[in-house]
Amino acid sequence: MQLRINHRTTFTYAGKAHDSFNEVRLRPIDDAFQKCLSFDLRLDPVAAPQEYSDFYGNTIHYFDIADGHTKLTVEALSLIETTPNDDRPPVPSVSSSDLERSAEREMFAEFYTSSHYVPLEVELWREAQDALVEGRADVWNEVCRLGRHIYRTFAYKPKTTGVNTRANDALKLRMGVCQDFAHVHLGLCRSLGIPARYVSGYFFNTTRRPREIEASHAWIEAYVPGFGWAAFDATHDRPADDRYVKVAVGRDYADIRPINGTYRGAPTRSLKVDVKVRETNGRLVHA
Amino acid sequence: MAKDLLSRSEQPKPIIVSLISSTYDAGAFFDEMFEPGGKTVRPHYRRLAERLTTLPEADFNHRRAAVDLAFLRRGVTFTVYNDSEGTERIFPFDLIPRIIPGKEWAKLEAGLIQRITALNLFLHDLYHEQKILKDKIIPAALILGAKHFRREFMNFNVPRDIYVHICGTDLIRDHAGNYLVLEDNLRCPSGASYMLENRVAMRRAFPNLFASYGVRPVETYGESLLKSLLHLAPDRTEKPNVVLLTPGVYNSAYFEHTFLARQMGIPIVEGRDLVVQGKKVFMRTTAGLVQVDVIYRRIDDDFLDPTVFRPDSMLGVPGLVGAYRAGHVALANSIGTGVADDKVIYAFVPKIIKYYLGEEPLLANVNTYLASEALDRKFILENIAKLVVKSANEAGGYGMLIGPASTKAECESFRTQVAANPRNFIAQDPIALSRSPTYCDGELQGRHIDLRPYILYGKKVTVTPGGLTRVALRKGSLVVNSSQGGGSKDTWVLQGDE
Amino acid sequence: MPATKLPPSRPQTNVMLSRVAHSLYWMSRYIERAENIARLLEVNLQLLLDFQGLDEAHRKEHWDSIILSTGEEKLFEEHYKIADSRTVTEFLAFDLRNPGSILACVFSARENARMIRDQISAEMWETLNELHLYLKSQNTTDVWAAGPHEFFSRIKQASHLFQGLTGATYSRSEGWEFIEFGKYLERADKTTRILDVKYHILLPNASDVGGAVDTAQWQAVLRSASALEAYRRAHVSAILPWKAAEFLIFSDSFPRSLHYCVVQIEEFLRRILGETAARPKSDAARAARRLLADLQSLTITDVIDEGLHEFLQEIQTTLDKIGDEVVQITMFYPAESSTEEQQQQQQQ
Repeated sequence: MQLRINHRTTFTYAGKAHDSFNEVRLRPIDDAFQKCLSFDLRLDPVAAPQEYSDFYGNTIHYFDIADGHTKLTVEALSLIETTPNDDRPPVPSVSSSDLERSAEREMFAEFYTSSHYVPLEVELWREAQDALVEGRADVWNEVCRLGRHIYRTFAYKPKTTGVNTRANDALKLRMGVCQDFAHVHLGLCRSLGIPARYVSGYFFNTTRRPREIEASHAWIEAYVPGFGWAAFDATHDRPADDRYVKVAVGRDYADIRPINGTYRGAPTRSLKVDVKVRETNGRLVHA
Repeated sequence: MAKDLLSRSEQPKPIIVSLISSTYDAGAFFDEMFEPGGKTVRPHYRRLAERLTTLPEADFNHRRAAVDLAFLRRGVTFTVYNDSEGTERIFPFDLIPRIIPGKEWAKLEAGLIQRITALNLFLHDLYHEQKILKDKIIPAALILGAKHFRREFMNFNVPRDIYVHICGTDLIRDHAGNYLVLEDNLRCPSGASYMLENRVAMRRAFPNLFASYGVRPVETYGESLLKSLLHLAPDRTEKPNVVLLTPGVYNSAYFEHTFLARQMGIPIVEGRDLVVQGKKVFMRTTAGLVQVDVIYRRIDDDFLDPTVFRPDSMLGVPGLVGAYRAGHVALANSIGTGVADDKVIYAFVPKIIKYYLGEEPLLANVNTYLASEALDRKFILENIAKLVVKSANEAGGYGMLIGPASTKAECESFRTQVAANPRNFIAQDPIALSRSPTYCDGELQGRHIDLRPYILYGKKVTVTPGGLTRVALRKGSLVVNSSQGGGSKDTWVLQGDE
Repeated sequence: MPATKLPPSRPQTNVMLSRVAHSLYWMSRYIERAENIARLLEVNLQLLLDFQGLDEAHRKEHWDSIILSTGEEKLFEEHYKIADSRTVTEFLAFDLRNPGSILACVFSARENARMIRDQISAEMWETLNELHLYLKSQNTTDVWAAGPHEFFSRIKQASHLFQGLTGATYSRSEGWEFIEFGKYLERADKTTRILDVKYHILLPNASDVGGAVDTAQWQAVLRSASALEAYRRAHVSAILPWKAAEFLIFSDSFPRSLHYCVVQIEEFLRRILGETAARPKSDAARAARRLLADLQSLTITDVIDEGLHEFLQEIQTTLDKIGDEVVQITMFYPAESSTEEQQQQQQQ
């Protein structure tokens, strides 16, 4: 599927802002299931971004604007080709003990230990045990069942959680948005020793059921030996498919903040985020 | 150990004829000045012993008072944390120098150079190919879980491939006099100013001894440091601007920052004096913006740049990391060096040396147990009262348990902490640190000491002949840190061996 | 210093950081300000003792005018019900809510010095530090119990000691220019305010002009500027109001007169901004020269014709502008940025 994405963020300040330094993670990743055919970062006021690749392979653009401005617009335009569902290999069945023994697991240590948004507290471990009370089978099956468990027992409610909500807080509330669902899902997987990482990206919503209102989205990937990183979306209770576009991966939200920066001057009056995902054959989804 | 010392202090005080009295007790430790038994003076201390024997105590005290006064006047102070007044204190100074024969120093020097060379290769590998992890010399989990591993600098090429430009390595001597590395300080090691100030004090107090002894000078430190910093400068100009970046006057090492800046003749700046424009760093002067090429930063990674690290940091410079990345400014030390002076990684340094240099380490480590390893952890938990337990990322003697000198409750508290967060702890066999005669309570008594030499990595690696000898002034204490009752001594490295 | 030679290729750099320059400037201004407020308070407390018989309305007027001259009347009303010797002393000496109180000024002077402690002499630092410790140990009750004279002279002496030590121990460098510029700018401003107190006292009650109260009050004005003795040496006759005003405005030798201060301001400003040409480049230098020309060409009759109060207010405005512009020019950064919060921005 070929998808065109326009992700526009506008900061409006209560007065003048200046000496603004920013890092953005907005360029979609290239991997086995998606190719970024083109990417363009438009900045207003105009600035010349430079880029580097971080530890997780995400592309970071950084730029600064010294002069005074009252508004900052960051617009990312991407053209993505995703691998059709039919061409994606199935995730193999690997037992937990084989995962434990796999040679590469050690290199993913940071994905099964505590991170900023996912402190591995005992409540997460207990929740994971409860979710898999019917017994453990293979890794991918467990990841899917944990995701489904969240989908079934959590309420999707915007504005009940915030940008600082951690997995254990969301678990207590049993509600939240995709970011919280992903953090909890990470917590459950990691409690069982399954390496799992946070994915931020876009979702091309063709059906738009009530639960499915976002174009900016978050889900997780778990490591399955012999396959690699397999993606599951707990918010929608399904593996990620060709409608999903991956922008950045990391231990949790803290590693993938789309825009991160500082400036001097007046406080931010408004922040407007507008994401459009359009299939190149013309269908448009506007969130 | 503590009990022995107590009983000794209860003995009646002898009448002191001269400073070197026949009652000096070298104890069961390695004594720097006396051969075992405490009667025979080691060859390299003989000239000092002769001087002290002929020096009336009143004269000695007079010199001591003069030195203290000079320190106070010159503002040679440090700020004590956890002190509501944030008071400044003089770092207590002991007039009896620590003397190291030339041959002994040559061995130390080679060992230190080997160590910093290997650690730099290690850092480069960690932030690039990570071969050492792939070859399973070090468990990857330890690095990925390390507090100071800077993922942001993966695949970044630091100027001249040098990560650690200034290193302060703490050395101790065991009961047999073997030098052991206690820890490496690869972030912002402090104390070099005291090394220099102590020498000034000693030159005043005993001018003639220096001439006859052939003590190697430490005064070149400032010049060597500046040279190492200039070596990093981007090729923008013939005359690069070097500055020292300090967290400000409230920092405990502020005195040192101003001292070193003056020694090198470079400006001392705070974060707010610098501004980044077009990925270049400038300092704000009354005559306009002046571009900065090299920053000797005495601020931790976390506070360098709020855009990249801690967003709440007010000490740093927004955009600084971007300028560094773009190659317009050099930082010393580089970002992310802390991963290599983590106390857990310390345990692997001998393996690191073998891995990168194919050599046996010239300087040994203290025997270390890792709480993250199941077998070691079991041993630590069972023997905590006999061990020294350290938190992986704390410095300055904080977050540490000296088992044999602690109460049951203290041991218990650490046992719980270790069990809960094994990655964060290591344990070591307690070392009976060597002792040096130190003037206490009107006579010379043995006190435990360590040594921090300073290693500079510029065009080549140099070790300043000398360093900071810290002394635990409290009787029986093994903690030499200035914040916890430590003092210092001048360190004499001799041209020859006597 | 150890006998280290600096590498020959790198001579001591001569850059002066803006922050350091401004800390010197504010340190100098604040200590001068503290001293002036101390003098103003002391003289007026004394004055009141001389006129025990003054009725309630006059007393109130007296203190109101002093508060008015500091420009903090709103702040005062917020925190105090009445203006009397006690509340005004509390407000002007110890109240940290008033940024212009003696304690607040000494605190600010010390804080600025602390930021650049390594750049000033130990003697300068110790003087400020001791004064700060002394003030912290005092309160209004103590001051009244021990007699206010002791208290105010400690402050004045510390300020004089500080300025004397600065002259004796600080190199004649760019930093020195900032110190002197700040000192004279503050002093000129305070002299206008001391004169203006008289305006506040006099205007509501024109019938008193020339009476006994008036003479005493003009004496107080001169004393507030440490100018009584100097005035007497210059004018043998009794204190005539217009003579006193003339002395404080136009004297070319008394170091607290407006004229004298502006000569210094103009000189140091020229050095700081490198204004060497006949025609100045900056507004600040132009304003300073215009002000100096006025003070050298006008007479006291011109001033009285224009109105003393208006004349003084205009000078205050000019001085403010000069100070602000010099700070801005040498800061190489938008003036507001030093007070601005650093903001974070994140997309969620």
